[in-house]
Amino acid sequence: MSDNPTRPLIEMAAVSKFFGDFQALRNIDLVVHKGERIVVCGPSGSGKSTLIRCINRLEKHNEGIITIDGIELTDKVADIDAVRREVGMVFQSFNLFPHMSIIKNLMIAQQLVRKTPKKEAREIAMHYLQRVKIPEQAEKYPIQLSGGQQQRVAIARALCMKPKIILFDEPTSALDPEMINEVLDVMVDLADEGMTMICVTHEMGFARSVADRIIFMDEGEIIEQASPADFFDNPENERTSAFLDQILKH
Amino acid sequence: MDVLNGWWDDYFWGAVIVAKVFIASLSLMIIFGLLGAAAKLSDNRLAQKIGGAYTVIFRGTPEILVILLLYFGSAIALTALVQLFNPEVRFVDVPPFWAGTIAIALIVGSYATETFRGAFLGVNPGSIEAARALGMSPLQTFFYIRIPEMWRIALPPFGNHMLSLIKDTALISIIGLNETMFVAKQAITVTGKPFTMYIVVGLIYLGFSTIITLTVMGIEKYGNRTTVGAQ
Ligand SMILES: Nc1ncnc2c1ncn2[C@@H]1O[C@H](COP(=O)(O)OP(=O)(O)OP(=O)(O)O)[C@@H](O)[C@H]1O
Ligand SMILES: [Mg+2]
Repeated sequence: MSDNPTRPLIEMAAVSKFFGDFQALRNIDLVVHKGERIVVCGPSGSGKSTLIRCINRLEKHNEGIITIDGIELTDKVADIDAVRREVGMVFQSFNLFPHMSIIKNLMIAQQLVRKTPKKEAREIAMHYLQRVKIPEQAEKYPIQLSGGQQQRVAIARALCMKPKIILFDEPTSALDPEMINEVLDVMVDLADEGMTMICVTHEMGFARSVADRIIFMDEGEIIEQASPADFFDNPENERTSAFLDQILKH
Repeated sequence: MDVLNGWWDDYFWGAVIVAKVFIASLSLMIIFGLLGAAAKLSDNRLAQKIGGAYTVIFRGTPEILVILLLYFGSAIALTALVQLFNPEVRFVDVPPFWAGTIAIALIVGSYATETFRGAFLGVNPGSIEAARALGMSPLQTFFYIRIPEMWRIALPPFGNHMLSLIKDTALISIIGLNETMFVAKQAITVTGKPFTMYIVVGLIYLGFSTIITLTVMGIEKYGNRTTVGAQ
């Protein structure tokens, strides 16, 4: 994997995904370059999660080509592992390992996947816990933390693997309103540092201020891709305007 | 209490046999339970059917009957087998220890299949996905994520299975295993004091059950420190 500055980090060409007879993704074309910040939005069931889950092969696409940092995603296990080492993921429901302390949550994959020695893994873990501003919670268990804290741990866990890309699947939608900002703040910091991110979210304030590009999906298709300014002020597609009306109403 | 004089030894060795049967049948019960759960969870239709039949058969027949059928059935089968090679042999004895141990392990194992299956399905799929997304292999995910989450779910019902097992050991006296129940019956024929003799058996079993219960509680507490642990 030589670093080629002009090569996109993520390239999806004519990607389709079926669940049985149901087509969840239709002919998706998407190119993401290093350092780009993409926000994906769209109505429920439009395929947003499926799209990002295909990028780290939590879902297997049926048609088209997905290439991550030069590695094409096929059934080859070594390639899938290589891609997963480059791609971090943050879930709506945090998905911390309940039986491990916070620090162990951050160390386990470093030790098993990166083969990082224990001591170094712990240092890296503490470093990122500091970055998400909860180093004092290191020895606690997930259940003892608030939702916002758990999600920050989940982000730190992904960062410990030093990924090139982070995928976020509605990272704030399971949170109480007062905790949303502490998580968004961490994400803004990441964006400022140049992390390549794809973020499924309906936090339109975040999208407007952070995104380089907003993607609107409906019924498994990318309907519109635009800069935040164009997206919010001159949406091209009617479905986009209807969607924006819906969510900006509140 | 004088009537008990001379019987303590027999009760002691009876209790030792109970403990041995318990340990052997516990190991087998875990194996049967895991195999049954794996069969029920597999994609293979035939395996699913076999797993289902296992549960239905052993849950639906009286335990004492299972012990008797297994004891006499295996004796008949074994005799027939040996006679193939040596027609002189009239009857092969099956050790009651093993016939009884396997029988109660099969019975309780049939309940354990559901416990293990439920625990397997009870693991949060989000944990598994997170592990996979972090690049952990299926095997690593199984050992570091699934198993540790599973046993915490399985432990409380599993404790009940252990209590069933220890109590079922008392049934094996029927095929002549000289455990405490068997000792009591002998003592009664000699002394004519059934209540005294049976109460001793009761106290021995209560002792065993208490040890099991306390052990399970201890392990549960250890497992739960992550979910309700010190704040
Ligand atoms: N494992 C699955 N099996 C069958 N259908 C699925 C599966 N996963 C998703 N789908 C279907 O695919 C479609 C797209 O789902 P997806 O989760 O990607 O939508 P989404 O845009 O993320 O929606 P939401 O905003 O509700 O999270 C939905 O209709 C969903 O029912
Ligand atoms: Mg979704």
